[in-house]
Amino acid sequence: MKVVVIGAGPGGYEAAIKAAKLGAQVSVVEKDTVGGTCLNRGCIPTKALLASSEVLKLAKEGKKFGVDISGEVEANFTNIIERKNKIVSQLVKGIEFLFNKNKIKLFKGAGKLLDANRVEVVKEDGSKDILEADRIILATGSVPICPPMFNYDGKRVITSDEVLNLKEPPKSIIIVGGGVIGCEIGQFLSRLGTAVTIVEMMPHILPNEDEDVAKQLVRQFKKDKIKVITGKGITSVKVEGNKVTAGIDEQSIEAEMMMVSIGRKPFTDGLGLENAGIELDKRGRIPVNDKLETCIKGIYAIGDLIDTPFLAHVASKEGITAAENAMGADKQMKYHAVPRCVYTEPEIAAVGMTETEAKKANMSYKIGTFDFRPLGKAQAAGKIQGFVKVIADENDRLIGASIAGPNATDLLAELTLAVHLGISAKQVGNVIHPHPTLSEAIMEALHDVHGESVHKV
Amino acid sequence: MNFPNELLYNKEHLWVKKEGNTALVGITDYAQDQLGEIIYVDLPEVGEEFAKGEQFSVVESAKVSSDLMMPFSGTVLEINEKLDDEPQYINESPYEAWIAKFKINDEKELEDMISAEEYEASLD
Repeated sequence: MKVVVIGAGPGGYEAAIKAAKLGAQVSVVEKDTVGGTCLNRGCIPTKALLASSEVLKLAKEGKKFGVDISGEVEANFTNIIERKNKIVSQLVKGIEFLFNKNKIKLFKGAGKLLDANRVEVVKEDGSKDILEADRIILATGSVPICPPMFNYDGKRVITSDEVLNLKEPPKSIIIVGGGVIGCEIGQFLSRLGTAVTIVEMMPHILPNEDEDVAKQLVRQFKKDKIKVITGKGITSVKVEGNKVTAGIDEQSIEAEMMMVSIGRKPFTDGLGLENAGIELDKRGRIPVNDKLETCIKGIYAIGDLIDTPFLAHVASKEGITAAENAMGADKQMKYHAVPRCVYTEPEIAAVGMTETEAKKANMSYKIGTFDFRPLGKAQAAGKIQGFVKVIADENDRLIGASIAGPNATDLLAELTLAVHLGISAKQVGNVIHPHPTLSEAIMEALHDVHGESVHKV
Repeated sequence: MNFPNELLYNKEHLWVKKEGNTALVGITDYAQDQLGEIIYVDLPEVGEEFAKGEQFSVVESAKVSSDLMMPFSGTVLEINEKLDDEPQYINESPYEAWIAKFKINDEKELEDMISAEEYEASLD
């Protein structure tokens, strides 16, 4: 079986490896570096940058922990970016190594469907290869949305693509869109001394997350002196010399730069979908069935190309599922327990339904909450902000959870498992949780669903 | 513990100092003592309007995070920015460390507030 995967992001590369492990002869077409947006311009580089800003913050707060640091503590932006690049390139090599191990052939160039069984690779020098395929997995991902009114120029008005490779932090920046990217980048730049204003059109930042959880982040942003404007959109953008002026209703705000992070859209330019007979939906996504197969038999689409959450781990799972189905399996995706992570301080992590969603769906549900503040571990670590909130349905089955606070993104795993398996708050609450750990907040929140938290006042 | 006679109080441990149709609002000596060392005060924004009973601020200590609800409806005229850098000022002098100054919408809404004596009696 010959499988061709177009795109080597977290969806495509995992699809390729899975297909190879199942015995396919796999070719991957990638016009850029393997790892896709996630590894090169997204998840990983931002985490590397945030790690640097966290060290900076900790060093400045040494005194609180009884550690005196003498001399200037300051960020070296060039070295921060260099460290980030090094981490990225090591991980890129890791994927290339896995490709080699699994005898996957990597074709560097842009992939284009010629028909349902042939993919053309156009290399940078203009030369072409044609690959024969029994099965094709489309995984070309997405690009930032940036409407013309923002006057994007990649210098003054940028997207997340450029922000990760700045030479120095701007003195001030307007961030349009208070989603995950806007919040993470905003806090990073703020910690390096940039005056940050986040403008979010929806009523609160992280509009898809629980409002109480978003409030925790707003509170931290206040402490960080990050300005947050919500419920208002940018109405005009003017770039003059080294200044960007943004109109918000009758007001206007100025900054050295603007980053537009209002969302991403599927990247299908030049993919040749029409040659195979695949049509996009109204919002530019590729329609697929529950096995991730497009309207053309043998062609699958995954990740940011389709109408499922734009998250690396969703793409990866879809990649694996598509590969299995391409190799003859009959697997379906399930989306009721998709974890979502925001790597700000405090971290935000959630899975399944939010309380707002449960309310909207007119479900009868019960909530349990617990603050990190009273926990011994939180006090000892000096990280006390935030709380855990769990949602159980009328049968006590866990249907969602949100965490704002220290290590929230790692703590979420237990609740993701619970929501995935559909087990009850009682069952998970009865598990012995180690002391002292932050996970005690999860246990207490689960007990709180039944009004049985021992430590809740 | 100190509860100045010239101030108004409520059972949510807020004090109000009325000056014409404006008022300063803070938390009582008892409240600061219960909270312990205050590490953060979430200040409202000047110009923000609040209904009676609506949350206008949060006071965080190492022990607990406490939401503050409006004792009357009003608009924020001033905030005490000193609390941004020195939240523990509330512990040191709770009646100097006002959180915000409000324009009072309806003075009648202050009628259910209680005197220092009544407040102190309610603490037992």
